[in-house]
Amino acid sequence: MSAHLEVDRLRVASRDGVLVHDVSFAVRPGVPLTLLGESGSGKSLVVQAIMGTLPAELAASGRIALDGRDLPGLPEAERRTLWGRRIALLPQEPWLALDPTMRVLGQVAEVYRHVRGRPAGDSRAEGRARLAGLGLADAVHRYPFQLSGGMCQRVALAIARAADADLLLADEPTKGLDAALRDGVAAGLRGEADRGRSLITITHDVTVARVLGGEVGVMLDGRLVEYGPAAEVLARPRHDYTRRLLAAEPVAWPGRDRPVPGDPVIRGAGIAKTFGGRTVLDGVDVEVRAGEVVAVLGPSGSGKSTLGNILLGLVPADAGEVRRGPGLAPLRFQKVYQDPPGAFAPQRTLRRALADVGRRHGVAWEVFEGLMRRFRLGPGLLDRRPGQLSGGELQRFALARVLALNPAFLFADEPTSRLDPITQREVADLLHELAGERRLGVLLVTHEAAMAANLAHRVLALEPAAAG
Amino acid sequence: MAGILRPLAGRAVQALTVALLVGLVSFALMHALPGDPAMRIAASRYGPDLMTAEAAERVRAELGLDRPMPVQLAEWVGRLATFDLGRSLVTGAPVAEELEIQLGASLWLAGAALALSMALGLPAGLLAGMRAGRLPDHLALAAAVLLRALPVFVTGLVLIIVFAVWLGWLPAAGFGGWRDLLLPGLTLAFGLAALSSRVTRDATAAVLAAPYVAFARTKGLPERLVVLRHGVRNAAIPVVAVLGLQLVYLVEGMVVVESLFAYPGIGHALVHAIIARDVPMVQGTALAMGLTFVLVNAVVDLLCAALDPRQVAR
Repeated sequence: MSAHLEVDRLRVASRDGVLVHDVSFAVRPGVPLTLLGESGSGKSLVVQAIMGTLPAELAASGRIALDGRDLPGLPEAERRTLWGRRIALLPQEPWLALDPTMRVLGQVAEVYRHVRGRPAGDSRAEGRARLAGLGLADAVHRYPFQLSGGMCQRVALAIARAADADLLLADEPTKGLDAALRDGVAAGLRGEADRGRSLITITHDVTVARVLGGEVGVMLDGRLVEYGPAAEVLARPRHDYTRRLLAAEPVAWPGRDRPVPGDPVIRGAGIAKTFGGRTVLDGVDVEVRAGEVVAVLGPSGSGKSTLGNILLGLVPADAGEVRRGPGLAPLRFQKVYQDPPGAFAPQRTLRRALADVGRRHGVAWEVFEGLMRRFRLGPGLLDRRPGQLSGGELQRFALARVLALNPAFLFADEPTSRLDPITQREVADLLHELAGERRLGVLLVTHEAAMAANLAHRVLALEPAAAG
Repeated sequence: MAGILRPLAGRAVQALTVALLVGLVSFALMHALPGDPAMRIAASRYGPDLMTAEAAERVRAELGLDRPMPVQLAEWVGRLATFDLGRSLVTGAPVAEELEIQLGASLWLAGAALALSMALGLPAGLLAGMRAGRLPDHLALAAAVLLRALPVFVTGLVLIIVFAVWLGWLPAAGFGGWRDLLLPGLTLAFGLAALSSRVTRDATAAVLAAPYVAFARTKGLPERLVVLRHGVRNAAIPVVAVLGLQLVYLVEGMVVVESLFAYPGIGHALVHAIIARDVPMVQGTALAMGLTFVLVNAVVDLLCAALDPRQVAR
């Protein structure tokens, strides 16, 4: 089992222009390659070109050779026979990539049955064994919607392994996972490479590249701007963009001066909450003062978001008390959401989104204009729809929309987890500045310990929920 | 298991509510109609020529039509509790017996309409969904808009003119063999297929673009298995779910189509019962239609739960 992949002057173009410029690299068994870059840098297109799944309106040229055989020259039907057997793809956001109406075991076993041609009984036994090997023995008869994100990720890995392909392509394998799960997935991929597989991982997370080791390629605007051994690229970056990418990691952020907090704007005492027999919050005390950033840290399912929602009154608590600062109108308690595209109506322009808030709450348009200047959002963006903006731009619009209401307390629910590292840093800087400037009390929910340590006056760590 | 039983219990409560409301509303509407019920009933029994004022008075006395309305309504509800729908005011036969024949005939027609609409709508929707945004999709949309916008009686008349009058292939009216079912069935099927083809189209396009279908392909399954194992079931969920709603159109259309094609079904019976002021028949017919509606929706619920495990868990 060994696959040597050689990519030479790969170019991907649409009718409007070239999207990937002359990318060249080689991958050999046991030495994983990580392509780093933000969304739109063309790294996904490279993987699609190798797989042969580029959209019809895009054309690839250049050489992609698997063990000396040129892939783009093969007829489509023949290329497809490589899928699963020689090249396996680990899809991004596996909770969307698993069939929602089929039990997990069926989705693994069908690879043995229909790709490797094994008898039905054997296939199920093999599937069961593979899932058990990944710690999913109890999950074989469940449906994907009954699994956590991390479990779905492992099911997808079991499927990608099942056909025993020797080249594995991982497309943003840690997207949407918290820090603990991210490290587990990266270590799992490292294990695949150690077993002699050839591996290409695309990610915007420098930590993943560090765990994987091997080689790193950095992509910017469709070009491979830096390429070399991981140890070297990550320790002594030569390209300016690589340096910025490394500096955007929360551990690398410079320390900040923290303004002296004022009076409490909100206080929760003895907050408890149970969901379906599972205790997520058990007697939590929290207080946020004016100008103060309080970080809530914890893994998925530890009740971080629930705590913020209880403070805002969006979710009723089972026990405990929430007290707001005296004389503060309800409208001055606001929330910024995790997924920026989900926080805007998809068919309405940004101008409409802001104007509606202004009309409803009597906020003059000039207020929005001032905030947009402050957040470096050009007026040209106003007539676009949410889908036509980047995640960072949208998240800044979300902040502008909320700040127009002059909040005293802001619940920021993982506001940077869906953003590229450099954009993540920008939004974090903004939150820090706003807390000081406007004497805003911020409750920042995050799973990044480094970010919490950098931004917050105080950190409230929540334990993972006890089972049962 | 409890996940499946809960919606069914809900449907049972709904059936009871439907029974009471249908009885009440049809009773109230019948009494709100202008004209003297006794004279209308007498006219239906003895023919318009033999109808006299004395005949009308005899009918009034015999049926107790001069009693207060709440008493007459209470009587119907009381009988209903013992599963007795009463007797037709015109023929004197038990309502249940008449319904049995007419409902049976209507179910044949509804079944034929549904089967024909599947035969038309599913392939059209599949084709449009696989070629979403291209010519077949646009053509299917235009046809669906046209067929759904045409009133049922216009579609029916056009079909009669073309297939019965000009071509002479099929009978214009009647009841008996499958040939009699074809034209009225097709008239209803066109309207049903217009909607189901669009739902099928959207479901097909959505499933084909879904990440789980892309993953099924890249994990190495041949296209036939991708569609069979991961496409069909997911695409079927919305198509089946909308069947329950389609029934509203079917019941509505049946009243018109059965009159148009002189087909002795429940819709036809309803129209005649209204003209004759045959209140127990009207109540019984409306009740049968309402309960059929609830029953079909319960079956649709079960089908959806069988197709989509997420609904059972919810």
